[in-house]
Amino acid sequence: MSGVVLRNVAKSFGAVNVIKDVSLTVNKGEFGVFVGPSGCGKSTLLRMIAGLEDTTGGTIQIGGRDVTHTEPAKRGVAMVFQSYALYPHLSVAENMAFSLRLARTSRDERERKVREAARILQLTDHLDKRPAELSGGQRQRVAIGRAIVREPEVFLFDEPLSNLDAELRVQMRLELSRLHQQIGATMIYVTHDQVEAMTLADEIFVLKGGSVQQSGAPLHLYDDPDNRFVAGFIGSPAMNFINGRVIGHTPQGIRVLAEDGEVEVDLETRPAEGMAVVLGIRPEHLVPAESGITVTVEMAEELGGNAYMHSRLPSGGDIVFERRGERDRLEGQNVRLRAEAGHIHCFTTEGLRLR
Amino acid sequence: MAMIRNQRRHRLVALTLILPFVAVFALVFAYPLVEVVRLSFTNATLIGGGEWIGLQNYRELLADKLFYTSLKNNGYFMLLTVIPTTVIALCIALMVQRLSGRMQALALALFFLPYILPVSVVTQIWAWMLDFQFGILQPLFERIVGKPIPVFKNPYWVMPSVAVVTIWWTNGFNVLLFLAGLRNIPSDLYEASALDGATRWQQFTRVTWPLLWPVVALVLTLQLILQLKIFDQIYLLSEGGPFNSSSVLLLMVYREAFQQNNGGYASAISLVVFLLIVAVSVLQYQLLRIRGRR
Repeated sequence: MSGVVLRNVAKSFGAVNVIKDVSLTVNKGEFGVFVGPSGCGKSTLLRMIAGLEDTTGGTIQIGGRDVTHTEPAKRGVAMVFQSYALYPHLSVAENMAFSLRLARTSRDERERKVREAARILQLTDHLDKRPAELSGGQRQRVAIGRAIVREPEVFLFDEPLSNLDAELRVQMRLELSRLHQQIGATMIYVTHDQVEAMTLADEIFVLKGGSVQQSGAPLHLYDDPDNRFVAGFIGSPAMNFINGRVIGHTPQGIRVLAEDGEVEVDLETRPAEGMAVVLGIRPEHLVPAESGITVTVEMAEELGGNAYMHSRLPSGGDIVFERRGERDRLEGQNVRLRAEAGHIHCFTTEGLRLR
Repeated sequence: MAMIRNQRRHRLVALTLILPFVAVFALVFAYPLVEVVRLSFTNATLIGGGEWIGLQNYRELLADKLFYTSLKNNGYFMLLTVIPTTVIALCIALMVQRLSGRMQALALALFFLPYILPVSVVTQIWAWMLDFQFGILQPLFERIVGKPIPVFKNPYWVMPSVAVVTIWWTNGFNVLLFLAGLRNIPSDLYEASALDGATRWQQFTRVTWPLLWPVVALVLTLQLILQLKIFDQIYLLSEGGPFNSSSVLLLMVYREAFQQNNGGYASAISLVVFLLIVAVSVLQYQLLRIRGRR
């Protein structure tokens, strides 16, 4: 049975269409991530699934039930807010038991469930504290605990880690992954951080301007993006884009003159000679070579095991390439870069992928 | 090093900065306060000396029937205003809060408008509206009670009428306090509780009310102090009558001091009122705080 199914979902505030015809499926037990730049509608979409925003058009199904017009509490979803939204006047235990109290669950069951959630989230020692006495990470866990005790079909997370510091964020990311394996419920997670999306998701939905640009497994999106936006959004540091022009065909694809270098690209289609294209190459695929595209190295980000070289094209564009294990410095030097034909993505100037 | 050398200068600057306040405070607050305490043990008139008579004024006060009538009226007035005005203001604030942007500002302005009027204007408006012969509200009385009522000249109607005028006049400020309190409650708590399955009423009792409690306690305490000090409206609308049925403690102070020229006795009454207000408000605030912590 399916987890969450959205069919042609739309949302408008007055004349502004925030969500345009979104259809997507998050299978039961899967971890789905909505990712996109701010203002892309990802949070709105999540709030529509939660029932906190009306749906202007289309249908939302959860567990095979049409819940498009069902009130939030009856959708079988629990949500973790960016601000945690803990009740400041209640203790940790009372916060977690809040929904159970409203549902008039028996005292024994309430305590059992809260204790179980507290055990999973390592909050047992803090049950009597107020939210104000907890650290950011602990508050985050209480918010998750409040969701767990309701035993919902679907967990919704609205940028839950963005208020934590970097170290804690990595730790909570792992905990969330573990939690998902442990309870196996459907989860939908909204973030603007593509690293979170890559590490957590079974399936990523990249949103922009209120519609889904592409969806799929993290590595699928990384290796085979449908358009320039997805290519540039997924991956850190981002993919490099270089303008070029088709100057000939090869048995496997095309030859492109990009800046001052000639590059071969594997391609099934054969765009006409003279057509302007945009080449997309990931930093780890660019290697210094005898011939290729000339760049001037401006700065090196040395991370120990690898280094990101920030450099500039003669025409002014930024290029980042990765080096591993080399210790000589390249700052200020001109370097020629090349990449294997199979590792270069080709886009039209409008941003569509050429395959 | 520089810090140490400048210590003396530092103190001098500090002194010159607080001196104006201390001087004014001593002149218009501390000195009169001490004088009132001293006067209350003398038989002084309003101006001029007087002899030390010890506790005589207080003994007289405890035997004064009007003191007990006034005390009772003060209590009655508090009962008629403090809790009603708090409840009304909370209801209005809850309704106003649900309006959006411009409408909210408009509604708030309308409810706040009476508060900016001076008390004499307020009492004049209501005196006209409730005028026995020509008052625009008298037909209403006729419909409900069967006959027109001279409310400020009727011992049963006078206190409730003054209470209504007072609530109408001062309610806007309480609405403002409540509205500020409501705005301080993050909206995602309501979203979270909606997802947790709370009805509107449960959202109010389990989220709004506990989080608004500090503001409720504040409004109740401010109102208590304010309404214990009732004077202007009574003086302007009924002058304590009829038959002292609307006499209150501060009216007594005014009469004794400025009409009977009994400065010492008036001082004794005002000191009692002062102690009463301190005692009641401290007691109430502590009680409310304990309840709030629960």
